[in-house]
Amino acid sequence: MPQLHQEVHAVKSAAVVCQATDKVLTLIRSCCVLLSSCAMVVLIAIFAWLVFGRYVLNETPTWVEQLALVLVCYIAFLGAAAGVKDNTHLGVSFIREALPAPLRRSLRILAEAAMTVFGLVMFLSCLELVAFGWGTLLPMLNIPEGVRTLPAAICGGLIFLFAGGRTLGMIHKYWIGYGTDGTPPTEHPSSNTGVR
Amino acid sequence: MGLALLLGLFAFCIVIGVPVAFAMGIAAAAVFFYEGFPLLITFQRITSGITVFSLLAIPFFIFAGELMLHGGIAIRLVRFASALVGHVRGGLASVNIFSSMLFGGISGSAVADISALGSILIPVMKEKGYRGDYAVNVTVTSSIAGVVIPPSHNMIIFTVAAGGGISISKLFMAGVVPGILMCLCLAVAAYIVALRHNYPAEAFPGWRVVALAAATAIPGLVTAIIIVGGVLSGVFTVTESGAFGAIYALALTVIVYRSLSWEAFKTAVVNSVRTTAMVMILIGCASAFGYLLALYQVPELLSRSLLAISENPIMILLMINLMLLMLGMIMDMAALILICTPIFLPIASAIGMDPVQFGIMLLMNLGLGLCTPPVGACLFVGCAVGKVPIEETLKSIWPFYLAILAALLAVTFIPAISMTLPGLVSL
Repeated sequence: MPQLHQEVHAVKSAAVVCQATDKVLTLIRSCCVLLSSCAMVVLIAIFAWLVFGRYVLNETPTWVEQLALVLVCYIAFLGAAAGVKDNTHLGVSFIREALPAPLRRSLRILAEAAMTVFGLVMFLSCLELVAFGWGTLLPMLNIPEGVRTLPAAICGGLIFLFAGGRTLGMIHKYWIGYGTDGTPPTEHPSSNTGVR
Repeated sequence: MGLALLLGLFAFCIVIGVPVAFAMGIAAAAVFFYEGFPLLITFQRITSGITVFSLLAIPFFIFAGELMLHGGIAIRLVRFASALVGHVRGGLASVNIFSSMLFGGISGSAVADISALGSILIPVMKEKGYRGDYAVNVTVTSSIAGVVIPPSHNMIIFTVAAGGGISISKLFMAGVVPGILMCLCLAVAAYIVALRHNYPAEAFPGWRVVALAAATAIPGLVTAIIIVGGVLSGVFTVTESGAFGAIYALALTVIVYRSLSWEAFKTAVVNSVRTTAMVMILIGCASAFGYLLALYQVPELLSRSLLAISENPIMILLMINLMLLMLGMIMDMAALILICTPIFLPIASAIGMDPVQFGIMLLMNLGLGLCTPPVGACLFVGCAVGKVPIEETLKSIWPFYLAILAALLAVTFIPAISMTLPGLVSL
């Protein structure tokens, strides 16, 4: 009996840690969405200024195009990282979902693990790119070129965290037998959706 | 060996459920590593694939579409379409198709079309005695107009995938007639089904109501005119046109219609960010993946293989259509545009097809894929909006599939359908 109590306590402790981690990751994801949404609003505003400057003031603000390319990197990479947390990227899950349950679970873990490794490699490689480009200035903006590749490094790091967190959650659920909230395992079909 | 690793790893990642963008990224990174290149080249290519100036139009198009969806433009278009074509047999189906033509032309998104028009029209159609599956079928299939009728952000993705040598203005003009033709074919199919089920016709409200509905809908339609007209006239670049269109839509919904709340604006921005990020990361990863496909001369290899099977252009085009349709069933549109364009475009060019005509054919094929299981975003959203089971929808969708196939074959084998308009305006 004491051994059973210890096991239940360990599972519950692990569940508390997992829940806390998930809350932190959700907060990070919300920050990504907020930042990329702000970048989107700024992108629209500066292009409004570009059109106004070019056709009304007859003076084209030349910095707009360069800044727009920087902003689109932040929108794309931070938004993509948030998409990994929300599982909204386009994917084909029907083949995996048609397989027997044990194989299906293993493949889900494998897919998340592959994403985790990709995120880590992306983070490390993009850090190199940031360092490489930090000494060069972007024309018109006079800011380091590394600022443009920085969101790719952040994206890699966040993919590592989000996919890694989900991998651990799945291992906990499928192999140890309990969900991250301490509940027994249930099937959660993947929610990859197709858009446009 | 490198090519086998690239394609094998990509296929394996897709099968185990890795999102398409990351499947391409993982396969490309592995092959760069295998070939002895520094790994950071993969990510340098992904970043440079995203930072292309003409791609900046994509977030603007998507944002304009979201504003249409949340800012009350869709309902005004439906009222206009209802006043104009609602009085024919199965009138609400015609209203649905005509609304898709107008709305799709502005938003350029099939899913936005279904979300906006389906949620308005499907309940009304059901209330008037139309079967739920019929309402969903009409909504889902007519939404493809959004990807063919300009402006469409998928056309920009196609021009990027084609290497940037194709004029976006030509592509915009080339999509107009095929889009209208497709909608006409769908209207005929909807009319025949309506006759069989004896669906009602709406009363004609009179020309005064038509004129009034047109007056309220026209400011919304001007968004499309600004975007397409700006590009065609050469006044704006495609990016500036997109930006101007988005700003106009914002001003229209906030100042003129006064129908865009702060909450709706936030939703539009967040949705735009989500879709833009998804498309952009796909484009970035496809850039790295496509670089390797070109390095291993895959387009040339496939071209030679297809030409070895048959040198008859009709057979080759049929094979390409069949492959695109099958791929469209299992993968989503943006990813397939990026993967298939560099592979099939050289083959189509080799048998004398204009790249612009090929682009429209590709978009129609992949658009149809959005309405087919097992991976059909439009079909799923339409069934969810209409609260009709997919199985029920699929039993009666065939007349609509056939209508789109008829339009597709006409566009494939009659170049004049897509190429006359770009020729007339001599772009």
